[in-house]
Amino acid sequence: MAKQKKKGQSGQAKNYITRTQAVRKLQISLPDFRRLCIFKGIYPREPRNIKKANKSASHSTTFYYTKDVQYLLHEPLLQKFREQKALSKKIARSLGRNEVQDAVRLEKYAMPKIKLDHIVRERYPTFVDALRDLDDALSLLFLFANLPSTSAVPAKVIARCQRLCHEFEHYLITTHTLRKSFLSIKGIYYQATIQGQDIMWLVPYKFVQRVTQDVDYRIMGTFVEFYCTLLGFVNYRLYTSIGLVYPPKFDVASDERGAELSAFTLEGHRVAGAIDQKEDEQKMLTNGHGQIQNSETIQAQIDKIAQEAEVEDDTKEDENPEEQADSGTIDTFTPAAPEGDILPQPDLTGDEASTLFSNFTFFISREAPRHSVEFLLRAFGAKRIGWDAVLGDGAFTHDETDPRITHQIVDRPALAQPLPALQGQSDPKDQPLQAIKPGYIVPGRVYIQPQWIWDCVNEGKLLRTDLYAPGATLPPHISPWIKPTSGQYDPRATLEEQEPAGEADQDIEEEEENADSAEEVETDDGDESEDGENEVDAGDMDVASASSEAESEEEVADGFAGFEGTEDADGLSSDLDDEAQHQKELEAEASGRPIPVAKSKEDARKAKALKARQTAQSKKDEEIERQKMMMSNKKRKLFEKMQYSNNKRDLEAEKLRAKRRKLERAGKGKA
Amino acid sequence: MAESKKRKAVTKDVEEDAAVVSGDEFDFGQLDGTLSDDESASASESEDLYSGAEDDSDAVSIGSDSLPSEDSDEDILIPKEEKESNSVAIGASESAASGHHQEPENSEDEKPNYRIVKDANGNDRYEYDEIDPGDDSDYSVPDNAANTIGDIPLSFYDSYPHIGYNINGKKIMRPARGEALDALLDSIDIPKGWTGLTDPSTGKPLQLSREELELLKKVQMNEVATDGYNPYEPTVEWFTSKTETMPLSSAPEPKRRFVPSKHEAKRVMKIVKAIREGRILPYKPLQEEEEGEQDEVPNYDIWADEQPRPDHAMHMPAPKLPPPGFEESYHPPAEYLPDQKEKEEWEKQDEEDREKEYLPTDYSSLRKVPGYGRFVKEKFERCLDLYLAPRVRRSKLNIDPESLLPKLPSPDELRPFPTHEAGRFLGHQGRVRTLAIDPSGQYLASGGDDGTVRVWTLIPQREVWSVSLGVESAVNAVRWRPGKDTPILAACAGDDIYLCIPRLGTDSSPEADAAQAVLDAGWGYAASESSGSKPPSIKWSRPSSSLREQGVAIVIHLGHTAKTLSFHSSGNHFVTICPATTVPASQAIAIHTISKHQTQLPFRKRLKGGGSPQAAHFHPSSPILFVANQRVIRAYDLSKQSLLKIIQPGARWISSFDVHPTSASTAGSDNLIVGSYDRRLLWMDLDLSPRPYKTLRFHEKAIRAVRFHPATNRYPLFADGSDDGSIQVFHGQVTSDMMSNAQIVPLKVLRGHKVTGGLGVMDLDWHPQHPWLVSAGGDGTCRLWVS
Repeated sequence: MAKQKKKGQSGQAKNYITRTQAVRKLQISLPDFRRLCIFKGIYPREPRNIKKANKSASHSTTFYYTKDVQYLLHEPLLQKFREQKALSKKIARSLGRNEVQDAVRLEKYAMPKIKLDHIVRERYPTFVDALRDLDDALSLLFLFANLPSTSAVPAKVIARCQRLCHEFEHYLITTHTLRKSFLSIKGIYYQATIQGQDIMWLVPYKFVQRVTQDVDYRIMGTFVEFYCTLLGFVNYRLYTSIGLVYPPKFDVASDERGAELSAFTLEGHRVAGAIDQKEDEQKMLTNGHGQIQNSETIQAQIDKIAQEAEVEDDTKEDENPEEQADSGTIDTFTPAAPEGDILPQPDLTGDEASTLFSNFTFFISREAPRHSVEFLLRAFGAKRIGWDAVLGDGAFTHDETDPRITHQIVDRPALAQPLPALQGQSDPKDQPLQAIKPGYIVPGRVYIQPQWIWDCVNEGKLLRTDLYAPGATLPPHISPWIKPTSGQYDPRATLEEQEPAGEADQDIEEEEENADSAEEVETDDGDESEDGENEVDAGDMDVASASSEAESEEEVADGFAGFEGTEDADGLSSDLDDEAQHQKELEAEASGRPIPVAKSKEDARKAKALKARQTAQSKKDEEIERQKMMMSNKKRKLFEKMQYSNNKRDLEAEKLRAKRRKLERAGKGKA
Repeated sequence: MAESKKRKAVTKDVEEDAAVVSGDEFDFGQLDGTLSDDESASASESEDLYSGAEDDSDAVSIGSDSLPSEDSDEDILIPKEEKESNSVAIGASESAASGHHQEPENSEDEKPNYRIVKDANGNDRYEYDEIDPGDDSDYSVPDNAANTIGDIPLSFYDSYPHIGYNINGKKIMRPARGEALDALLDSIDIPKGWTGLTDPSTGKPLQLSREELELLKKVQMNEVATDGYNPYEPTVEWFTSKTETMPLSSAPEPKRRFVPSKHEAKRVMKIVKAIREGRILPYKPLQEEEEGEQDEVPNYDIWADEQPRPDHAMHMPAPKLPPPGFEESYHPPAEYLPDQKEKEEWEKQDEEDREKEYLPTDYSSLRKVPGYGRFVKEKFERCLDLYLAPRVRRSKLNIDPESLLPKLPSPDELRPFPTHEAGRFLGHQGRVRTLAIDPSGQYLASGGDDGTVRVWTLIPQREVWSVSLGVESAVNAVRWRPGKDTPILAACAGDDIYLCIPRLGTDSSPEADAAQAVLDAGWGYAASESSGSKPPSIKWSRPSSSLREQGVAIVIHLGHTAKTLSFHSSGNHFVTICPATTVPASQAIAIHTISKHQTQLPFRKRLKGGGSPQAAHFHPSSPILFVANQRVIRAYDLSKQSLLKIIQPGARWISSFDVHPTSASTAGSDNLIVGSYDRRLLWMDLDLSPRPYKTLRFHEKAIRAVRFHPATNRYPLFADGSDDGSIQVFHGQVTSDMMSNAQIVPLKVLRGHKVTGGLGVMDLDWHPQHPWLVSAGGDGTCRLWVS
C-alpha cells in the first residue's frame, strides 16, 4: 500500500501561505514587507481552493505563493531593511537624548542606500519585458512629476520624476515613436510603440492635484522609487540604442525658467535634435549669471535669443532633412512579381509621424497647454515651435508676429471680428495689426484649437483646419483605441449602418407614443412644462390647442393599436390590411373626422413591418426558450451568464443609438 | 655533584653487599683532598675540563679516556663503600687489565694525577682520580650496580641464584629473601620509603624517597613538576578594598584637582584646530553623499546580456488598464452625455457602486477642462491593486453562447402534431377504458365500464355500431386486427374475448365478408385438431344468436379477465394478458391464433421477479414477444422459444409499453417506451443499454398508456396519457445512424380530460395515417386531437 498522504502536507496547503505567515517567516515588519513586495513585484494569489490553502480555517486572508516568499528570503534588501531599522533606533535614541544634531547627522549620512538595480534585472530579464510593464510606471511618474512638493513627496523626487519623464519624451520625439494621444477628462493619454510594445500612459492636466486623506504617499513613494530606477535604465537603453549619450545634458537654469523639454541637450554621434544648437547658445548666454537673474534680465535674454534664433533658423532648416534621410529607416519591399509571398513589414507610421507637422511653424498662445502641445508637435515632426514668453523658455520664437509662423494654436472663445480684408489676402480673418493684443489676429497664418493636433495625430493625416477654428464648435473628440466591433455602438459610423433593421421605426413609434402619453400627462397636470409667462398670459389657449392635438393623435394611435390587436398571429395579408384600412376610413367618415389617408398608408406599411419583426423576434425568443429547455442545468446557467454580458452590451449600444437618433432628429427639426 | 654522590652512596650502602674491590683506607683521604682541591681551587679549570670532556665525548666515544675514567670512578667509589660493608674482594686480573690500559696516559701527564698502588702481584698499579663529568654532562653514568639484562622478564632467572649482571659482567645475586619472620617484621614496621613494589631491575623492593614520591604525585596531578612552585599561594592584597574612615593624610585637596587641565586643553585645542582646518574629519566625508546622488543616474546597460526567461505558470503579469473609451473624451459625441435622469442617478449612487467613476461631460474647448479630482486617488488605487490584489488566472470562455444551444429540429420540421381537440365521442356510460382506431383510419372502436363496445366514425363523431358484451363486466381492451381489408375487432370483456365484425355502413360489404371468411376459416381446423392437447378451459365457440346478430363472430372463453390485448402485425396472432394475481401463472399469458382458432399458453411458470405480467406486445417485424411484468420487460424469441433479453426500465410498476414500429428495420436498434404508475415515461434503447436512455418525468400522476405513432417515419411522434388528465406529445426521432441517439423533443401537453375518480386518460391511440390522436378518458368521453 502506498504511503498515506497527510492532510495539509502537500499541494495547495503547502503552496500558499498567508501574509502573516510570510511576514513572520521573513522576520520583518509589515510595512517593510509591503515595500519588499512592491519592489520585487510579489503579489498575493487566489488559490483555486481557498479552503484547502487555508487548512480549513474559515477566516478570509491574503495568500502568497510560498515560493515567492522563499525567494524573498534571499533578498539582499532584507539586510538593508534591518540596517535601516537599526538606524532608526539610533535616531530615536538620539532624539530621546535631545541630541538633535546627532540624529540629523545619522539620518543624513548613515542611512543605508537602497539600490534596486538587481531587482530591475530580476523582474525584467529582457528589455522587452520592461517595456511591457512601463504603462503603470509612466503614469505614476508623470503624476509625480506634476505634483506639488510636500513633506510626503520631497522636491527631489519630483525633480527626478520630471527629469526622467522629459528624457523619455525626448526619446519619443527623436525616434517619432509616439502613435496616438487622446484628450480625456482625466488627462491626456499617450501611446507609443517601442520595439513592438504598445505603451500607454496618462498625463494629468497641469493643475494642482487634489489630495485626499485616504491616499498613502508612502506606498506610492515606494512604487515611484522602483519606477524611477526602472525608467532610468529603460532610458539609458533607449538612448544608447539610438546612439545618444545618456544622461543628456540638463540645464538647470533653463529648466528653472520653464524650458521643460528644451532644458535637455541630446548628445550623440550622429543624431542631434533641433534643440541642441539653440540650447548650446542659451547655455553660453546663461551660464554666467545662473540663478541670480531676475525676471527682467530673463526677459532681456529671451528677446535676445529670439532675435538670434531667427538668424539660426535657416541653417537649421537645411540640416534637418539631411538628418532624416540618413536615419536608418527600413525600405519598403514591394513584390516585383505577383507570385511570391508578401512578408509583413513594420508599418511606416514612424516616417509618417516624423513628417506630419514637419513643414509648419507653430506658435502656441499662452492659454494653450504648452507642454503637451509642444511634445505632441515635436513627436510628429514639428521642428519650429514658438510660444508666448510667459510659457517659459526654449521656444523657437517668442514673437507672435513672426511672419514664418504658419499655425497658431489658440484656445480663445472667438477671435476678433474680421476687419475689412486687405486685397490680395485670401483669409478673411486677416487683419493688419502689428501689436498683437488679445483677440486680434495676425494675417497669413491659420488659427486652430488644440484639438486639431490631437485629431490629426490620431487620424494620421492633416485635417481641415476650418472645423477647428477658434470659437467654432469642435467635432467630437473620439478615442483612437476603440475599434468598431460588431454589436457595439460606433460614433464614427452613421446610424443607419449599425442599427438593426427597423429599430429606428420602432423607436419612432415608441417615441411618439411616449410623447403622446407625456403630453397627455402634461395636460392633465396643468401644463407644467410650459413657460411661466405662457401660463399666466395665454395659458388657456395653449392648453386647449395642445390637448386637441393630442386628442387627435391619440385617436390615430389607438386605432393602430386596435388594428394590431385584432390581427391574427398566424399571418397577415395585405387584403386584410386593406380591409382594416377601409373600415377605419368608414369609421372616420361616420364620426365626421378628416380621413388621415396618406399618413395612415405610410404608417400602416411601417406598422406591418414592425409587426412582422416583432413576431419574428418573439418566435426567435420562443425557439431559444425551447432549446434552453433541452439543455442541462449547468449548460443553461453558463449560457445565461454568457448572454448577460452580451445583452448588457447590446442594451448599451441600443441606448446610445436611441440617443443619437433623438439628437439627429432634433437637429433635423431645427434645420 | 655532592648530592649525586651522596645519593649514590645511599643507594649503594643498602644494596651493595657484593662489594667489588677492597681498597685501602688512606686512599679515601687523598681522594677527599683531591676532590676538595678540585672544587675550591679551579672552578674555571674544571669548567674548561668539562667542556673539553663534552667535546671529547662526541669525538671519542669509546676511546680510552672514557673507559679508564669510569673504571677509576668505580675504583674510587668502591673503597668508600668498602668501609661500610667489608665484602668480597675483587678479582685481581680485572684490575690489572685496567691498569694496563691506563699506563700510556700516565706517561704523558707531567703532573701525576694518579696514585701508584701495589697490586696483588706486587706490581705498581696506577690509580687515577675520578673524572667527574659534572651534573651538566649528558654523559650518562651507568649505575654499576644496575642490572644489564635489558628487557627480558625477571622470571627467566627464577631458577638461578642471580637475577642478572651488572655493568661489569658480574652476577647480581638474588637478594636474600628473608625468613618468614623477617617478612613479618618488615610488614610490621614499614621501612621508610617502602612502596610495596619490586624494582624490576633489581628484584628488590622498590623504595622511593619522599621527594620522589612528591614528584610522582605532581606528575600524576599534571602539576608543575619543578620543586618549590606553589600554585596555592596566599593572596596578597596590594590595594585594600576597605576605605579608611579617617584619611591617612589630612592635607587638603589640591587646586589642580578642580581646575581644568591646561595640558589637556592644549591637546584638545590641537584636535579642534585640526578639525577646523579639515585635517581631521569627525564623520564620513560629505562627498560620498554627492557620489551617491550621481549613482542614481544609471550609467550602464542593465540588459546588456539579456536572456529571456521562460514563462512560468505561476507568473501572472498585472493586467493593463483598458484604453479610454469615447465617453471619457473631454468633448465626446453628444450621445455619450448622460441626460438629466442618468446624471441624478449617478450622483445618487454610492461612490463604490458607480459603474464609471466619472460622469461623461462635454467641455466645448480644451481650456475649460478642469483638473480631474480623482486622479491621485485613481493612481493610488491602481498601486494598491498592483501589490495587494490577489491575482488568479482565469480562462475566459470566448465562445458564442449560441453554440451552446442544442441543435433542435425547427418547429416547422416537428409539425404536424396534435395541438387541439377536434371532437368528442360521447355515449359511454362510465369510464371509457379502451379505444382503437381501425387500420383504415375511418373508425374508432371504444369500450368502457358499461360493457359496450362502440364503433364511431372519426369525422364526424358519430356512433355507427355498438354491442353490449355484458352489463356487469367492463370492456378492458378493444383492438382492431391489422389489415385494412378485414375489419375485425377483438374485445376483452369479463372472462371472454370477443372477435367481432362490426357492421359498418351497409350490411353486406365485401370487407365484412372477407372478415367473416378469415374468422370462419379456423372452425374446421379446430375441429380436426380438437383431440390435441388444448387446455379445456380455453374454448373458441360461436356466440349466442343475439350476439351473432350484432356482429360478434367468435367468443373465446379464457376463464380469467384479460386486461390487455395485442395483435401481431400479420394479424393472425394476438396475445392477451390476465394480470390479476389470482390467475394461475400458466394461464396469465395466452397467445391466440385466429386461423387455427387455437390458444397457446407458452409460459408454464410465473415469470421470475417483478410480479404479475402487465402487458405484452409482439415485435413488429421479428418473431419476438415482449412481456412486461411489474418491473422488468422480457424479450422472448418465439422461434427458438428462449429468453432473449431482460430489460430493466427501473420503474416500480410498469403500466404499459410500446415498441417502436420501425424498430430494428430502419433504425439500428429496438426502441421501447415504457409508462409506469410511478409517473415516469422511459425511453429504452435496447442496444444502448438495458437501462433507460431518457427518463421523462413530466406527469404529476401515474401514466396509463403510452403509444408510438404507427407511421413513425412520417410522424415521429409518441404520446402518453396520465391520470392527471393530460396527454403529452413528444417528438421521438430515431435515426438509422448507429452513432446518434434518438432525439426526443417535448412538443405539446394536451389538456381536456377531466379527472373523475382519480382517473384521467385511460387509453390512447394514434390515427394510422394522420398525426391525430384519440384518447379515452375516465370522464366517459373519447376525444380526438388533431394538428
